[in-house]
Amino acid sequence: MSLSFRNEIDITVLLSGATIADVAIKPRNRPPLTRLFAGKPAASLLPVLPRLFSLCSIAHHVAFQSAVEAAQGREAAPATVRRRVTAVVVERLTELLRGLFVGRLALDGTNAPAVRAVMQASALLGGADEAVPPALHRDAAVQIKAALGAMGIAGEEDETLAPGSPLAASVAGCHGKLVSEPEADPSFLTVADDLDIVTRLLADGAAYSDAPDLCGRIPETGVWARRARREAVSAAEAGSAARLKARIAEVARLCAWLDRGDADLDEGVVASYRLGAGKGAAAVECARGRLHHAVALDDEDRVVNFEFLAPTEWNFHARGPLVRSLKGATLATGRQGQDAVRALVGSFDPCVGFSLQFREAGHA
Amino acid sequence: MCLAIPAEVTKLLPDEMAIVSIDGVSKEISVALIENLAVGDYVIIHVGYALTKIDPEEAMRTLELLRELSAEGQGAAS
Repeated sequence: MSLSFRNEIDITVLLSGATIADVAIKPRNRPPLTRLFAGKPAASLLPVLPRLFSLCSIAHHVAFQSAVEAAQGREAAPATVRRRVTAVVVERLTELLRGLFVGRLALDGTNAPAVRAVMQASALLGGADEAVPPALHRDAAVQIKAALGAMGIAGEEDETLAPGSPLAASVAGCHGKLVSEPEADPSFLTVADDLDIVTRLLADGAAYSDAPDLCGRIPETGVWARRARREAVSAAEAGSAARLKARIAEVARLCAWLDRGDADLDEGVVASYRLGAGKGAAAVECARGRLHHAVALDDEDRVVNFEFLAPTEWNFHARGPLVRSLKGATLATGRQGQDAVRALVGSFDPCVGFSLQFREAGHA
Repeated sequence: MCLAIPAEVTKLLPDEMAIVSIDGVSKEISVALIENLAVGDYVIIHVGYALTKIDPEEAMRTLELLRELSAEGQGAAS
């Protein structure tokens, strides 16, 4: 099928000698969901979203459902919210773990059975709409924990890895091939930004979601941002190795949370906002960061407007966190330097594939 | 966001690889994350990896939806 929209990000790194002088990003085109959804009953679109998105489909489902409820002036029962949070967390854990195997961090095939085991256990925990019996929840958590152990993820809540495991080797291989100036004032997307974002989203539509900002600020979202919100992180350490460790630590932390069955994880895993009569929005903290949906309904609950903003739009913004991390960095010579750039781009974990080119600055 | 484009498995290869067809276009992918895959099955792929298996009926519904989206996109561009 020939799609009329590009589902890939093009990144061009402009070099001046061994230094990255600039980075140009050509974003993917987002599909025209607003046009497709317009005029349709909101309830009829709930099964459509998980079918459209191969990644974070539960997060999209929960975000849309929560935004519609907010638009209708309804509030989900605490047990329902709890189910949705668990479903989003399980999906986040699975996506983060799968990302260690898929793409640039690709571990070797010996880890595939463990990743499959986590995917199967996650499926046992079901979607956001069904209650999971406690015994099944416990069994699934035990299976996930065992699979992580088989991959070498040995920490209860941190990035401790079994010595000699492929993951330990992968982390060790990320060190020291790209020398960057630490960002002076890194900023991270938080729950406190939600209301500004969804208000702009509904008012400005694609003009905002294609290149979002917060008063000129383009904060980072995702694993590294979540770590920075929980604990002090050094901007000087924000390379691909640290980001990989943060991902591993979060996988261990989410597994421990599932295992304990605690009530709370972090603030705002799922948050919803009523924006006026017939207007609502929601934010969901998914694997790659904060996902926002905003919707306006007519009196018969048909969609008048629907907008969404995925985390990749922040991290891969033309002036965003990835570009800031790369600009001014010095590459090691030859293939090693280019591989280090590729690893850093991969550690920002775009939700689509990317192409990476290197050119001398000043050459067309 | 990554669109879930269904691909039909047309040939299984050694080392947990396979050839899939995306609306007539062939592509070699890893199927290491999917068990018990057969020729004729439909999978959802992401950056060269099959992520999940879906039933053919679901695949057809998704392809139809993507065609509708694509047509909307062309309408918006014209």
